[in-house]
Amino acid sequence: MAQEIRTINLNAPAFKGINSEDSPVTQDTAFAEVADNAVIDKRGRIAARKGYSVYTTDATVLDPGGSGDRDSLSMIKEFKDDQGNKKIFSSGNDKIFISDPLTGLTTLTDETPAGYTITDNDWKAVSFNNKIYFFQRGYEPLVYDNATNDVQVISALATAGGTANVHGNEAVAAYGRLWVADFENLEKSRVYWSDLLIGENFTSGSSGFIDISKVWPDGRDEIVALAAHNGLLIIFGKHSIVVYKGAESPTSMVLADTISGVGCVDRNTVQNTGTDILFLSDSGLRSFGRTIQSGSMPLQILSGNITKDIIEATEQEKTLVAAGTTIPSAGFRTVYSPENNFYLLTFAGQRLTYCFDVRGTLENGAYRVTRWPSYQGTAYTETEDGDLLVGTIEGLCKYGTYLDDNATYTFKYLSPRLSFGDTSRTKLLKKIKPTIIGANNAIVALKWAYDFSDVFNSTSLTIGTSQEPAYFASDIDAEGASQFNVNKFSTGVNISRLNGNTTGYGNLVSIGLEATINGSEFSVQELNVLALMGKIF
Amino acid sequence: MGEWWNKYGDLIGGAAALGLLGGAYQDLGDLGEEARGYADTLADLQMQQTAFTPYTLTSATGGQFGASMGPDGTFQTTMSISPEEQAMQQQLFGGATGFFDQAMLDPAQRTQEIFGEMESAMQDPMQRQRLANEERMAAQGRLGVSSNMFGGMAPEDFQMNKAQQEAMNQAYFTATQQAQREQAQQAQLGQQYMGLGYMPQQQLLQALQPGLTSAAQQQQAQLYGAGLFGESTMSGIDADLAANLGRSNLLGEAAAGMLAGIFGGGN
Repeated sequence: MAQEIRTINLNAPAFKGINSEDSPVTQDTAFAEVADNAVIDKRGRIAARKGYSVYTTDATVLDPGGSGDRDSLSMIKEFKDDQGNKKIFSSGNDKIFISDPLTGLTTLTDETPAGYTITDNDWKAVSFNNKIYFFQRGYEPLVYDNATNDVQVISALATAGGTANVHGNEAVAAYGRLWVADFENLEKSRVYWSDLLIGENFTSGSSGFIDISKVWPDGRDEIVALAAHNGLLIIFGKHSIVVYKGAESPTSMVLADTISGVGCVDRNTVQNTGTDILFLSDSGLRSFGRTIQSGSMPLQILSGNITKDIIEATEQEKTLVAAGTTIPSAGFRTVYSPENNFYLLTFAGQRLTYCFDVRGTLENGAYRVTRWPSYQGTAYTETEDGDLLVGTIEGLCKYGTYLDDNATYTFKYLSPRLSFGDTSRTKLLKKIKPTIIGANNAIVALKWAYDFSDVFNSTSLTIGTSQEPAYFASDIDAEGASQFNVNKFSTGVNISRLNGNTTGYGNLVSIGLEATINGSEFSVQELNVLALMGKIF
Repeated sequence: MGEWWNKYGDLIGGAAALGLLGGAYQDLGDLGEEARGYADTLADLQMQQTAFTPYTLTSATGGQFGASMGPDGTFQTTMSISPEEQAMQQQLFGGATGFFDQAMLDPAQRTQEIFGEMESAMQDPMQRQRLANEERMAAQGRLGVSSNMFGGMAPEDFQMNKAQQEAMNQAYFTATQQAQREQAQQAQLGQQYMGLGYMPQQQLLQALQPGLTSAAQQQQAQLYGAGLFGESTMSGIDADLAANLGRSNLLGEAAAGMLAGIFGGGN
């Protein structure tokens, strides 16, 4: 007797991002087992991430030995002063570079001070009061302003005090001062603050420091990162967090809260979203809640759907950092992009990036997350104009195209294991019918596998050519005037309903698709799966 | 005989009258010398009668005052107090010496001593203040605050140290004043003790007043008696001199009458 074909309609598949934590059998079909090189687009669909276009022209300065094995940029920072001067600073290959997009300086110009030897590329750049400061543990801080038009050590400034005690690794500009911490020597619990509006003076005026060695909730810790939020100074240790309020007047700020058991892995993972602060802890991505002002500090695990994955990646990256892995320099790099609604967390040594969609959290408080494997970005900054700059081995790049420096990349989606509502019966897949938005001439490989096999069957489909946006003048009369003041354009976006035949059978089914992103956007609107229910398994 | 008498009687009468005058004159001269001798004798007697009589006065507490003439004729007085008074006097003088010694010490040294005592007394409250401040700062997580605005310390530490330093300064100022007051007090006590040390002597002198008055009265009576004696003696001498003077005058008048009769008759 013929069986009824069962249809499963996966609307907006992977809308909730990757979930590697819950049982794949019972998972919500809105999750994804794999969502590589993907983002959640503005309509809540899984879509291909954007690529990057190289912004600077000469990357040979990133080649330490001329072998072509280039270092990747490890830091990017936009600097803009009150006169409107704008510069892009970056670092890599033991150098500090300057670029000037307004004047057409599109090369990475080495601005490392003469005689200043750099052997590490873990710089933290901070803009403060018409200057930009560069901090790295064990190095005398550097400073640049447009008046001198030169990167120099801060002790060269006439307003500098003694600087030996501020060779810190972490610095933030907040409340009219520079705050520096994480020093090479034993001062692992000290936070120095500069004189008011004089970021290079740490020895006179209203400068000072606080030693929180007696404040750590767990008895001992080391400062990793600093953040400022709502009058608070948040001091991240490796395993604990200390919060001071009244930091506008540092000499009178008082302890507001302490959190034990949760710390920050790396200062580069701290991102202020305006209403919250995101940071990577040993147990995953976390945030301070919005009720921080009320005195309580509800912490949310934002990477709850990929906890084990991110912990594993974190531990591995820490190992690479400890080993001093270079080319590229290992380390944690992040960026918060409000325009793209994501927080990128890159494990540079592993060439692995997780993309957290920050528009909202799921029921479990986690962000929707996708993964960007082999992504070449190792440094980021969000410019004042809303551009996301990406540092790669090619130099300074700009996030925004659907090619990685003219190279294609692969979008991949795999669903969780689907039971079609009846785990006791065998399923015979008949068709997979995805609805694809965009994707000009892309070759899409439909994939399916049964039960828990990692061996996927595949069938390839080609999407047609997208139409360029067209102007329809039907509403314009012979004189060229609009009849109803309405002009019409075609969308120029392909909407492709593909149909792929499938074979085989099994109890649980995993389906997905891979697409080569070749310059066009690509998003999956829905996936219709037609299956025949078989005998009881 | 009449004629002879008439011829020689006047001569004889004149000679007799001259003899009487000479005798009267001689008696008057003798009388002056006799009076002078009486006066000398009286003076000697009165010198003896008015000579100073040594005496000794003893107070009720055993102090003594003596007045006498020395071998060289000079006036001598002696004064002594009783052994008990002497012991007290020595004690008071000893105390006065001690107070004066204290008063003459360098005030700075005493200031340091007083300040040290005040510092010791202030140490515990200050320590409690420090501990309370430390606890408060620890609770606020501010133990490690170091601001260059406040000399490399937290504002609370700065304020507390400033307050404590001001208290110490005030204590030192107070100690200085106290040392000066003590110095003045020691000097005053020394003066009082020294004054009291002279008290037995003063009391002795005061006790001598009635005795001295009695001695003076005695001396006055002695002088008065000597005066009466002199006057009486002089009265007798005067009477004797007057009698002799009258006799001499009588002789003189007789002689004068005789001479007048001889040379005043016209014969």
